Amino acid sequence: MAGRTIWKGAINFSNVNVPVKLHSAVRERRIAFNLLHAHDQARLRQQMICSHENVPVPREHQIKGYAVAPGQYVIVTDAEMAQVEPQGGRTIEVLEFVRREELDPRYYQRLYYLEPENSPRAFNTLSAALAETGLIGICRWHMRRRSYLGALRPGRIGLDLATLRFPDEVVARDDLALPQVAVSERELKIGTELIDNLSAPFKPEQFQNEYQARLQELIAQKAAGRKIKIVPFRPKQPTAEDALVRALTASLKQARAR
Amino acid sequence: MPGRSLWSGTISFGLVAIPIQLVSAVRRSAVSFTMLHDEDYAPLKRRMLCPLEDRIVPAEEIVRGYEIEPGQYIPMTDDELASVVPERSHAVEIMDFIDLADLPPVYYSQPYYLLPGKGGEKPYRLLVDILSRRERAGLAKFVMHDRQYLVAVQPIQDALGLIKLHYEEEVLGADELQPETAELDDSLKERIKQTMKQMTATFDPTRYTDERRQNIAALLEEKVRAGETVEAPGTAGDYEEAPDDLLAALEESLQNTKGA
Repeated sequence: MAGRTIWKGAINFSNVNVPVKLHSAVRERRIAFNLLHAHDQARLRQQMICSHENVPVPREHQIKGYAVAPGQYVIVTDAEMAQVEPQGGRTIEVLEFVRREELDPRYYQRLYYLEPENSPRAFNTLSAALAETGLIGICRWHMRRRSYLGALRPGRIGLDLATLRFPDEVVARDDLALPQVAVSERELKIGTELIDNLSAPFKPEQFQNEYQARLQELIAQKAAGRKIKIVPFRPKQPTAEDALVRALTASLKQARAR
Repeated sequence: MPGRSLWSGTISFGLVAIPIQLVSAVRRSAVSFTMLHDEDYAPLKRRMLCPLEDRIVPAEEIVRGYEIEPGQYIPMTDDELASVVPERSHAVEIMDFIDLADLPPVYYSQPYYLLPGKGGEKPYRLLVDILSRRERAGLAKFVMHDRQYLVAVQPIQDALGLIKLHYEEEVLGADELQPETAELDDSLKERIKQTMKQMTATFDPTRYTDERRQNIAALLEEKVRAGETVEAPGTAGDYEEAPDDLLAALEESLQNTKGA
């Protein structure tokens, strides 16, 4: 089940206006731990300490500084921060449309399902137009005192809105020093055949968080007072460059037998 | 600049194993703050306080605990937690290759780049080239920082990316959001398509701005120019490095966030 409505707004471009509600599409499930004091098992509380006087500093004596040089700061007050916050408004403004495959996973941040607020026909129509053209809308809006960049996409049902990372939060491919190496036609051919053989449909329900399950089991065992067995790991040996074709051929043989 | 290597190990498919390093594909924006004490402008340190003894607890006296009922915990040692980490914790083993078109972005969580380690350059290039050509991604289980992740290994331009995925159980259903009617408005659809066509462009992320961050950078720049700085006690060596050329850094973050 989708999360509850977290925000309402209206998709807008040209003279199209489609009011929508946002619902979370993802809920993270992690086994959470608390930090305890080993002696008395008391749950620890976080405390901010002044690095100079070594005394606890309560909330009302904590301020925000921007480091301009080692030990030198420009102070920004909460009032000043509030002033620079973008002004609300309920418009999800579509700036332009781009081909779906142009957006890579570095940009995708969080996905929301959209629900029509009062005009399901216009909502369906917009979803169909996106699906038929293979386009997604790049949009911008303000929600909870933040500016968002997003991608409007046709969903499995209706429409999805993904928040995107801003470009200064993404590491560019050109920042990587990747060595240029040539691969031979033969390696490409055998490799492609191997990968084709190892291909399958995406069935996400096949994958469970085994770690989480084992952790749950560990907790249950400890709760029952049992002793825990510690298992070491073994690293794999890398494939030597001159052995690449041999490894590909042998893998292909295995994959065919699969 | 890419960040430091977060993990190194091997990525394998079939019998091919490629030594790799993992680096983040995202970074913190240039504008970030330090919490200070308002009386002496000294930076604050985060410490853990024991409420029973009312004292700060050193790292070696801290254990993790799982709450089984309110106020009742099972303590867990690091070794115990490590014992549930699956065996091949230094290998990313690709189980299946899937069509990229079948992987909707709702599954995407944290993105990383993979870089080839020594001797891995050629198989790395081979894998990127094949995946790009076939528009495929490899699915693998991956253990980092004592947690297991489902990941997609897929090309990002001509580099190899590793994207943490949400497990199926974390992806919520949308069935009840289905509009009450499936009706379409055909003439509206044609008009929308026409408009979309006129508004279609190449994705150029550098044209988009975070208005809030841009405003904060402008505010900081103004304050720096006005000489509104305070000094913390202690020696310069005690503190984190600030950007080499501060105004240039602020200027750059303004540029980066400026609109088309």
